[in-house]
Amino acid sequence: MTLQSIPFDNDRINSDESEGAFNEFIEDQLSDLIEGILTDGDLTEFGERGSDLIVELDDIQPPSFVYGDDGRGGGSGGSGPGSGGGKMSFSLPFDKLMELIAERLELPDLKKEGRGKIKQVSYTFKTFGQLGIILDKKRTFKRVLKTSIATGSYQPQEGIYELQFRRRDRRYKLPQRVERPKYKAVVFYMGDISYSTYGERLELEKRLVKFIHNWLDYNYGPKAVEHRFFVHDSEAYEVMPEDFYRVANAGGTRASIVFDLVARIAVNEYDPTTTNFYGFYFGDGELFADDAKEIVTIVEEQMVPIFNRLGVVEVQPSRSSHLNTKISNRFRRDKIVRLGELKHKKDTIEVIKKLFGERN
Amino acid sequence: MRMIHTDEVLNHLKDRVLYFGEEFGMTLPEVRFYILDGLEFASLLEKRVYPASPSNIWEGKRMVSKKYRISEGMESSLYYEVVQTGNPSYAYLNNTNSPMMQASVMAHVLGHCEFSELNVLRDSNPDRTEFVMFLVKKVNLGRHQMGEKSFISYWNAAESALPMMAPNSQYNVGRAVESDTVTGTGTKKRVEEAPVTPSFYTPLSSTLDALLRPRNDANPYEREMKTKLRQETLSRRGFRLRCPCQDVFAFLRYYAPTTNAERSVLDYLYTIHAPSDFVVRTQIMNEGWAMYWEKKIMLELFKERACTGIIDYSKVFSGVCYPRPYYMRNPYHLGFHMWCHVEELYRDGKVSLDYHEEKDQKAKDAWKRESGTQPIDAMRHLVRTVTDYEYLRRFLTPELIHQFHLNRVPQRDVARLGISKRDVIQEDRYWVWLNPEPIKKEMLKFFTHFYRPRIYVIDADFEDGGLLLFHRDDGRRLKANWIQPTLKNLNMIWKGGISLVSKNTLYGYTGGRYREMRIPEVDFEVVVDRMRDGKKPLVLD
Repeated sequence: MTLQSIPFDNDRINSDESEGAFNEFIEDQLSDLIEGILTDGDLTEFGERGSDLIVELDDIQPPSFVYGDDGRGGGSGGSGPGSGGGKMSFSLPFDKLMELIAERLELPDLKKEGRGKIKQVSYTFKTFGQLGIILDKKRTFKRVLKTSIATGSYQPQEGIYELQFRRRDRRYKLPQRVERPKYKAVVFYMGDISYSTYGERLELEKRLVKFIHNWLDYNYGPKAVEHRFFVHDSEAYEVMPEDFYRVANAGGTRASIVFDLVARIAVNEYDPTTTNFYGFYFGDGELFADDAKEIVTIVEEQMVPIFNRLGVVEVQPSRSSHLNTKISNRFRRDKIVRLGELKHKKDTIEVIKKLFGERN
Repeated sequence: MRMIHTDEVLNHLKDRVLYFGEEFGMTLPEVRFYILDGLEFASLLEKRVYPASPSNIWEGKRMVSKKYRISEGMESSLYYEVVQTGNPSYAYLNNTNSPMMQASVMAHVLGHCEFSELNVLRDSNPDRTEFVMFLVKKVNLGRHQMGEKSFISYWNAAESALPMMAPNSQYNVGRAVESDTVTGTGTKKRVEEAPVTPSFYTPLSSTLDALLRPRNDANPYEREMKTKLRQETLSRRGFRLRCPCQDVFAFLRYYAPTTNAERSVLDYLYTIHAPSDFVVRTQIMNEGWAMYWEKKIMLELFKERACTGIIDYSKVFSGVCYPRPYYMRNPYHLGFHMWCHVEELYRDGKVSLDYHEEKDQKAKDAWKRESGTQPIDAMRHLVRTVTDYEYLRRFLTPELIHQFHLNRVPQRDVARLGISKRDVIQEDRYWVWLNPEPIKKEMLKFFTHFYRPRIYVIDADFEDGGLLLFHRDDGRRLKANWIQPTLKNLNMIWKGGISLVSKNTLYGYTGGRYREMRIPEVDFEVVVDRMRDGKKPLVLD
């Protein structure tokens, strides 16, 4: 047998193109699934801060004459692949999922202000030069070995193992400057604990909070976003994230105080020129008569000038809910202040669009 | 992917393995070895052992899920051996294996190569891999000609017909279709109808003669009409169905109206999938043959200390040849032990008329006579003449079934499989042994249907140019909600009406419309008879 060259065009066997074709097919399927994930899916399965999501889809198989019980779904026939009744699992990267959601819901990228102009500088050692401070011993030794072999000073077959270290064989690690814009964002979640947040109401609110959480993490990078949770009844105070849905109280409610608290914290604890502020209020919209007026004043005077976005969402409002009605007179077409009403699961997408969509 | 000569150790081992292969008198084609990494190996398997393939979502799906399974630890990326037989043969080694494992893989590959060269089904094919590479280029060209969307639709439609491929069936396209042109590689030699010679004297007592050559008593007028009809069909359509054709894919490949681009898709799919029929029909003999030679060559390598690790090799060998119950079919185990048994039979001269006619059991037990032929020659003769079915039918006995533990079932599966106590002949804490008598019959049954529905083309002019398929009944029903999409896909290839008869229902797909119709049940034998008589196999009232 003689030695042959590789008779194929490619020197590496791979299925990249086919995987690409399959991924395209799946992306089409996934974008159809996004609405399902947002309205019916369990968003708590999103994973923690940017981890991958395991997605299950109906398996696809080419339909053919086979024995067996009727599978669920059945072959879609024609040009399309059929469904085998089983499940296929994929790990979908968090960023990819958010990208698909943004595409599907036509959400624009969030405007990043403040420290975007300030660059985060870091150094990586990717290049190597003849002059420097940090000697790359491995590279230097390789060159020394090559030179010594070439000059004949290193001849192991003769028992000569002399290595000559020349200056020009030295290789140093050189730092390379990498600049990345640095952003910072703070999100204030405000919840009304005087209304009965349990059952479906709680689920709706959780779902929306989870989405906002993920959406801002995706836009700014998980480490650059601080999430703070506030609740109020007749008083307002900050709680731990896990307590946001737990604390409950019955009685009178004043929402303006939580807006006031958040506005003060934003100014006192952060530098408004370098921080992107986001605030979201969730409540049933039942307020004391003059509360809405106070809220409008606080929002207009203290929050709108420094906040990137402020959302007020009424979750399953009752007949006596009038928060949105009152403040919508002032903020109906506002770019910063957005109002939403979440009555059923299916409204989730609409509310998300209202909170984050473009408004001209 | 790199060639084997880039690795000095493996190259040396390859030379030694080839040397011993030739020493043992093996009939070997040129074998080219390549070294791949784990992912390349996985990809190669998904490409059906050809290093390139046109992109398609099915390969992508299998690869994505394989990568997922490997990353989740559900599947190991270590594979044993992969070889594309033919002349030359291409064998691929996994770079993660140790040199000893690589040597055993190379020896195993030689076994497969020789089997492919010698076997009765004529599997060996000159330049198979190169031909597929050529077809890949043609398909990629076809993709541009057809446009991406139609190409994908056509490819996916053709996937539906893939299980209906039977190049080695007695009803393959060469035997079933009479054509006015030579149809290509898939067609066997045309069977010419022998001219009827008048028999002047027929002895009344010759039963055999009467059975084999029945006198043609048909009306001369009818005979004349039949010949006329046949000639007309041939001249009009270019082909005529002589009997049912089980190789539905090949039929579509040759006789469906296609553009060049569509034809290239069908050609490619048929060429890469057709050898699986050979594999399934000869798997036990083939894997056994490879294991037999692997062991022989490896023992020589260990003897001359070309490689070390005989204990590790023994562990791997016994792992591969671990007995499994008959319904799980471990071809390595059964094949290897069967070949060893057959070798012993020939060595002791037990495959002879004398041995069979010997009535004294003691003499039979102590039988040891030179038969005049070398056992290995006799074994090679078997490879040249029979497939698994005949091999098992001739040599597998109930005693062997018991000896090979083919009748051994784990205790935990007894209840699940509904095994009755009456069938159990022996048991211990972990296993039960079943009565081996009916097992051989069960094993042979596999070769009639391979656990797949048997579908035949029985009419290519059904209801004005439609294709009529027939599901040969074996007591089970087809998956009902896949019938319509499958017919729709076939309709796209045939570009005309498609119908399927299964039990007492006629399923049809024509012009975008699907229908189901109750009809009287028809036996396969009746269909064959009607076709032989030149009649329509199915006529609706």
